[in-house]
Formats: sequence, structure tokens, C-alpha cells
Amino acid sequence: MRKVKGKEVSYAKYGYLFIAPFFIAFLIFQFIPLIQTIYYSFFEYYRSGLKIIGPNPVGLANYSALFEADFGRYAGNTIIMWIIGFVPQIIISLLLAAWFTDIRLKIKGKQFFKVVIYMPNLIMASAFAMLFFALFSDNGPVNTTLVSMGILSKPFRFLSSVWGTRGLVGLMNFLMWFGNTTILLMAAVMGINPSLFEAAELDGCSPRQTFFRVTLPMIRPILVYVLITSMIGGLQMFDVPQILTNGKGTPDRTSMTLIMYLNNHLFSKNYGMAGAVSVILFIIAAILCLAVYFTLNADDDSKRVRKRDRFKPRKEAVNG
Amino acid sequence: MDKKPSHARTVIAYIVLIILTFLCLFFFYILIVNATRSHPEIQKGFSFIPGHSLMKNLRSVLNDANIPVLSGIKNSLIVSSLSAILATYFSALTAYGLYAYDFKLKKPAFVFIMLILVMPTQVSAMGFINLITKMGMLNTLYPLFLPSIAAPAVFYFMYSYMQSSLPLELVEAARIDGSNEFHTFNRVVIPIMKPALAVQAIFAFVSSWNNYFIPALVISENNKKTLPILIAALRSADFLKFDMGKVYMLITIAIVPIIIVYIALSKYIVAGVALGGVKE
Amino acid sequence: MAGITFKNVVKTYDNGVTVVPDLNLEIKDKEFVVLVGPSGCGKSTTLRMIAGLESITDGELYIGDKLMNAVAPKNRNIAMVFQNYALYPHLSVYKNMTFALELAKVPKDEMKKKVQWAAEILGLEPYLDRKPKALSGGQRQRVALGRAMVRDPEVFLLDEPLSNLDAKLRTEMRSQISKLHKRLGTTFVYVTHDQTEAMTMGDRICVMKDGIIQQFDTPQNLYDHPCNLFVAGFIGSPQMNFVDATVEKADGGYALCFGAARIVVDRPELAEYEGKMVVFGIRPEDLHAEPAFFGKGNVIDAYIDLDEMMGSESYLYLNYADQKLIARVPARYAKRAEENISLAVDAEKIHIFDKDTEKAI
Repeated sequence: MRKVKGKEVSYAKYGYLFIAPFFIAFLIFQFIPLIQTIYYSFFEYYRSGLKIIGPNPVGLANYSALFEADFGRYAGNTIIMWIIGFVPQIIISLLLAAWFTDIRLKIKGKQFFKVVIYMPNLIMASAFAMLFFALFSDNGPVNTTLVSMGILSKPFRFLSSVWGTRGLVGLMNFLMWFGNTTILLMAAVMGINPSLFEAAELDGCSPRQTFFRVTLPMIRPILVYVLITSMIGGLQMFDVPQILTNGKGTPDRTSMTLIMYLNNHLFSKNYGMAGAVSVILFIIAAILCLAVYFTLNADDDSKRVRKRDRFKPRKEAVNG
Repeated sequence: MDKKPSHARTVIAYIVLIILTFLCLFFFYILIVNATRSHPEIQKGFSFIPGHSLMKNLRSVLNDANIPVLSGIKNSLIVSSLSAILATYFSALTAYGLYAYDFKLKKPAFVFIMLILVMPTQVSAMGFINLITKMGMLNTLYPLFLPSIAAPAVFYFMYSYMQSSLPLELVEAARIDGSNEFHTFNRVVIPIMKPALAVQAIFAFVSSWNNYFIPALVISENNKKTLPILIAALRSADFLKFDMGKVYMLITIAIVPIIIVYIALSKYIVAGVALGGVKE
Repeated sequence: MAGITFKNVVKTYDNGVTVVPDLNLEIKDKEFVVLVGPSGCGKSTTLRMIAGLESITDGELYIGDKLMNAVAPKNRNIAMVFQNYALYPHLSVYKNMTFALELAKVPKDEMKKKVQWAAEILGLEPYLDRKPKALSGGQRQRVALGRAMVRDPEVFLLDEPLSNLDAKLRTEMRSQISKLHKRLGTTFVYVTHDQTEAMTMGDRICVMKDGIIQQFDTPQNLYDHPCNLFVAGFIGSPQMNFVDATVEKADGGYALCFGAARIVVDRPELAEYEGKMVVFGIRPEDLHAEPAFFGKGNVIDAYIDLDEMMGSESYLYLNYADQKLIARVPARYAKRAEENISLAVDAEKIHIFDKDTEKAI
């Protein structure tokens, strides 16, 4: 039935043309590098002094070397520091989101608080870490103040203590991300039909019951989304511990994260090992990416409804 | 009877909020105060009162040949601005291509971008460094902004925004009015997308401004370094030898411009976070 | 000179759904043609094929005598008014109207003249500097018309342009558009799902269903001689009454029998239906309560379920021999609900349809 090409008006070619730059850039700067990364992970390929060793194919040797070495330990560090930051983050964010959206609680200056709590997210992580390093160093202002106030008898060496360092990293991650999470959760709560809350109130729900029985189940998709994206963020944890510990993961590599480990291999130009670390990171990230994809799409139905609601007034705005 | 618990909750809410506000602001306040104090003053401990060494600290930062701050600011500005422009323009272009046209690979292309939505760039860093070494782009700024052309998260934001704010009728009207597809994109779609472009430009700018991992691997020449690398260099140097006033000053220089922009545009940024959902 | 001709046009979407199987349609130059039908009947697709917004799978489309299948929208010399107006939100009314002219590189002063001409006709002069946001629905509608007018097109395409206006404004714009058509003397193709709009505006109306043209005729002919059940039911409000009846031989022709009623009609073509069931249709206004009509016989006694008093006339919802009927009678002859009323069926105005093919007999 279809006539010879050019016999009809078709815009398909513009679709391809418009998405081409994205895919070309992705191909060059991400896809080809990824393939190369995977490829070299099966090779012995590193620099020793000025000499380049390899690339010699070694099969899975890099991977077994990885697991014999400290990969598991660094994965553990990463998870621990992520948890230290994430647990308070999600609790505080839920609490704030519930308070900010509770019409009974007339909190003044909501906009101010939102602006303030989001601010740390925009701060250069490396500068933030440097600031913490300066403030919490052995003779830094925090210690000086605590000693002079008589709370401590002698300076607490935060950065020489395992849990001091991990705690600081977790605290910084918490500070940097709780505002972002709060705003996301608030948007989710405000997306719930207000009459649902009114119905709950008429049914005799206390604020606490409303929160656990209505709000939480309704924002579950966003919670899952926040959880997974935060895990991906945790996987990428680098700037803060890197600067705080000068790339050493001190004390005794207990704050060394996976990306710091990767970074060390990259700097020492051990491409085989760096490749193997990357591949494992890629596999974990790919699983998390799939999870994000499905949460965003499972959410599709409710989202489409919300979008349509939003569509009407918006369309008015567009047309005038 | 109903009033009392609500009242107590309000008080608790305010207490928590004030503590959090204090936590968020305290460090920055100390930072800025310390940037105005001299090294010996800082060693004595906290002070809430600014000192008088602002200009002295500034001068000593600017004059330090090992920390090329001015070229660092310049490089950071170039990289971040270009990143912001490329990321927003090409993401809008890609989103428009998938939103406004029907073609065979439309669905697969969309699913693909959604799949890599939150893929960390670090996983391909090794190949990336290899590649740009071969392309002769090591120690240049290009590898720091060119990859921004493919920004899946920005794309997703643009796509959602188009769904809610760009009726396809408008595109068809332009077509009938004799506008070609590129003209329609640049003259009709881009103006309508302005709010989304602005919000995403800010996010792209900030994340590029703060980016440390990739630049640290790409740049080793002093005059090509961006601010985060300079900050990191402070840490790796023998820290105790440093004039602390200078350290705080440099951190201030890296952070304060972003804070000022943020405060000026906070309304749009906070609204943008709520709208987007996805961000790096 | 720009008539529009569809020759065996087919539209199949990429997903394999055929919305227009085989369309043949000839729209004359300067004619006001309305495409009407329920949603999904292919009327919008047909309009969009004229505009070039929808590709043509097979067949030929001519505007004037030029084959248009492969011509881009901008080269078809057409203008279109969209359902949601599609005004550029970032441009002023003036700029909205000159957008196409600027692209066509029309000189500045000529552009200005054209906008002024259109603005004067549409009463838009005070609003030229405003953005669409600052206009009311009716004003936006007029800007959309103005944007089409300044281009001086050979064909005007209008896609449900009034569906977003309230009832009063709609009536007002209906006559404005009709006037505009007379004034401009160009071909108008107008899509709507509202049969009242179609009846009041079109020179000819094309009734569509499932991508197939049911009937293409003047409003009067559509109303008086619907060619099938669908058209008969679609055109006219309140809807035509349909009743299943058996054909029997009677004095002076044939009788349509249902319940106790025998409506005698002088229709020799019913011969082949003798003893069979047919559907006959009668419009509500052809059921008469005025005694003057009772002389000819064909009177039925119906029970009134519900009555709607409209002032000068009354709509009676009737039950007769288990058939639901509507009658539209002058108020002073009407009765109220739960009463019985005698009504004369105007045998001359009866439409008879084949029960299987649904075509008019």
C-alpha cells in the first residue's frame, strides 16, 4: 500500500536528526570508553616506572586479584558511610515533608527553610570537605572550642579515628542531601489528592495515623526512587572522603570508597585493574538503573493522571 | 482539646527546623568569618565576629603562584558555562526529537535514555581517559564540557516539561505558517521552554562547577586547572605549612559565587527540584 | 481557484490501523464544507491530510488542480485554525499574526496593512500588543482566525474551532465565521462533532463514520432525505424516533404496523418488504398534537413518561407499545407527564430504512 518514498510528507528524518547529537556524544564519550574499559579488564596492562607492561590477555586474573585484595572491604566502607548518611536523611526528610505539608501546623517561613536546607546540595563537595577538614583537624576550631569549653580534656582526633572519619563523611552526605530529599518528598505529598487527607481526618485519624496509613503508602513510589538514586549516589561517593583523607582513606583505609579505589588505579595507570573495578561498578549501577527505570514506569499510571491534571491549567497558560 | 497537641507539635517542628538551619548555615558562616581573619586569629578558635584580614587573605591567595586562582576561576567559568549551554540546548533538542516526531526508533531510543538515566560516568572513566589521551585532548578543557551534550537527566526533565507545556498543535501551526523544523525549534519551542532551560542550566552549571573526579584525571597543567582541583591541591600539600586565612579564602572563592546565585534564584531552583525529581 | 479533491485516499497509521479506507470527496471552490461525525470517524484526519500534517498512505489529493501528496504544508497555500488555537504564547497578538508573513518575507508595511485589515474585521485592534495569556477565550479564537486571514490562503481549515468556548460565545462566533466566509470568498473546510454547528454553517455537509462518507449534501437535503439510519439519527435534535414495524398491504399503499398502530403510507417501493420488518423514522416535530392533523388518520394514543416544557414548545417523552418516542409539540397542545395524548403521525414525513442494510428505502 505504501507509496514510493518522497511521495508523502514525512518528518521522521527530523526526529533522527534532532536526537543524533545526543547519541553521537554518548557513543564517543560514554559507550566506546565503556567497551574499552570492559575490554581492558581482561588484560594485564599497567605502568611500572616509565615502562608500560602489556596489554597481555590474562582472562579473569584481574577480577580474582580484585576479590583477593580489598575490594570487599572498600565496598563495605562505601555501604557503611552511605548508611550513616542515608538513615538520618530519610527520617528527617520524611518528618520535614510531613510537617511542611500539614495544614494544621502553620509553619511560617517555609520558603526560607526550604531554601536553607537545599543550599548545602549546591556547595562544591571538595570545598565542603576541605572546610570540614580545616574545622575538625586536630588543632582546628572545633577541637579548640570544645577543649576551651571544658567538654573535652584534650583534642579529639576526628580524622585519626575510624568512626570519627566515617561519621564526618556521613554527616556531610546527610547535610548535602536531606534538603533535596525533603523537597522531593514534599512534592510527592502535595501530589496526593487533598480530599484524601480530609477523609482520613473525618474518619478520625490522628496526624501520626494519617502519616503512616495515608501519606507513606501514597508516596511509596517516590520513596523507592529516592532510595535507589541515593544508592547510586552512594556508589559514586568520592569527593568528600577523597579530600577529607587526602585520597588515603585514613585511618588504615577504613574510609576508602570504591571510586577512590578506582581513582588510585587510574592515577597509577593500572588500566587492567581499573577496568575490572569499573566493570563491577557498572554491573551494580546497571541493576540500580533498571530499578529506577521500573519505578519511574510503574509510577507511570498515577503520574499520567497527575500530568493530565496539571495539563489543563498549563495549557491555558500556554494559549493565554 | 484538639489545640494542645497541635501546639506542641508546632514547637517541636520549629526546634528541629532551627537546629537544621543552624547546621546548614553555621559552617558557611564560620567559613566566611574565617576568610576575614588572619592565621594566628584563626588558630585561637571560633569567632562570630569577622576579622580585618579580608583583603590581606585575598591578596595572598591571588599572589600565590602555586595556586593560580584567577585562571582557575576563568577555567571553571568556561567549562561550567559551556556545559550548561550544551546540556540544556541539546537535551531540549533530543527531547523535542522524541516528543514531536514519529519514527521507527523512537521508542527504543526513549527506553535507552531512560535506562541510562542515572548511570554514573565514573564506570567508563578509564576508557574515557584513554580515549581523550589518544584524541590529544588531555590537558585541554574540551573533555570537561563536550560530554554534556548527552545528559540523560536533563533530557528527562525537558521531556516531562514538553509533555505538560508544549502542545503539538503549536508545532503544527508553525509548520503551516511556513516555518522549517529548525526554525520552529529555535523560535517557538525554545522560548516556550525558557523556564525549564533556566532551571536546568543552573543545575548543569553548578554540577560542572563542583565536578572534581573527571577534571582531576584530565588536567595536570597548572594553568588549565579548575577550582575543585586547586582546592584538592591544598589538601595534598603539607597542610600545616599553610596560612589558614588563605585556605578559608580559597574555599570562600569557590563556594560563595554559587551561594549568591542560589539565593538570587532560590525560588526557581527549589521549584525546579520539586518538578524534576531526577538530578545527579 | 481552489477546490479540493480526494481520489481513493487511504490513511493507515504506522501501527497498522486504517482510519480512512477509501475516501472520494470533491469540495468546490469558495464552498463552506463541514466534516461532521462522532469522534474517531476520521474527520480530523481528513482535514489534517488536506493541511499536510498527516501523510497520505495511498490515493491522490488535489488542491485546485495540483497534486498535493508530497507538498509540504507551507507550500499548500492553506491556513488552519486549531481547536486549542495554537497561538504562540511568547509572541504578541501582532507578532502571532505576522509570524507566517515574516517567514514569507512580506515587506513590513504590507504586513502592517494586512494585520490592520484583519484586526478591523475581527475587532482585535485594541489587543495587538497583548500576549495571548492576557486575552479571553473568544479573543484568542479571533486571533487564531486573524492569523489565518492575513496569509490570504486559498483554503481555510478549521478543526473544531469553537469547542473550547461557552455556549453563548459559540453561537456568536458561528455567525462571525459564516460572515467571514462570505466576505473572504475562499474555500472553508470545517470539522466539528456538533451537528448544530454543521447545519447552521455549511453550504454542504459531509457526514462521516468509521472513515467512510455516509452522505455529502446540503443541510436541507440531509435533514429531509437522510440516506441511512446513521445520518438520520445524527442530524437533528432531538433525535429522530426509530421504530421497528412490519409492512402490511393496506388500502392506498402499505401499512407500517407496530403495537396497535397502522400507519398507512403511499410508498409503492415497499412491495418487496411486504410481511417483513423495517425500521421507520419520524422526527419529533412530525408527531402532531394539533387536532387539525387528526383528519388523515394515523393517530396513536401514547402515554407521557416525562415532559420538558421549553416555553413555546414542549418535548414529550412517550411510551407507545413498548417503544420510546419523543414528540415536539406546541406548548398549548401539550399535556403533562403521566397523561395520555393523541398524536397524528405525518405519513408524508416518514423515513423508512431496511433493517439489515440500514439504508433508506
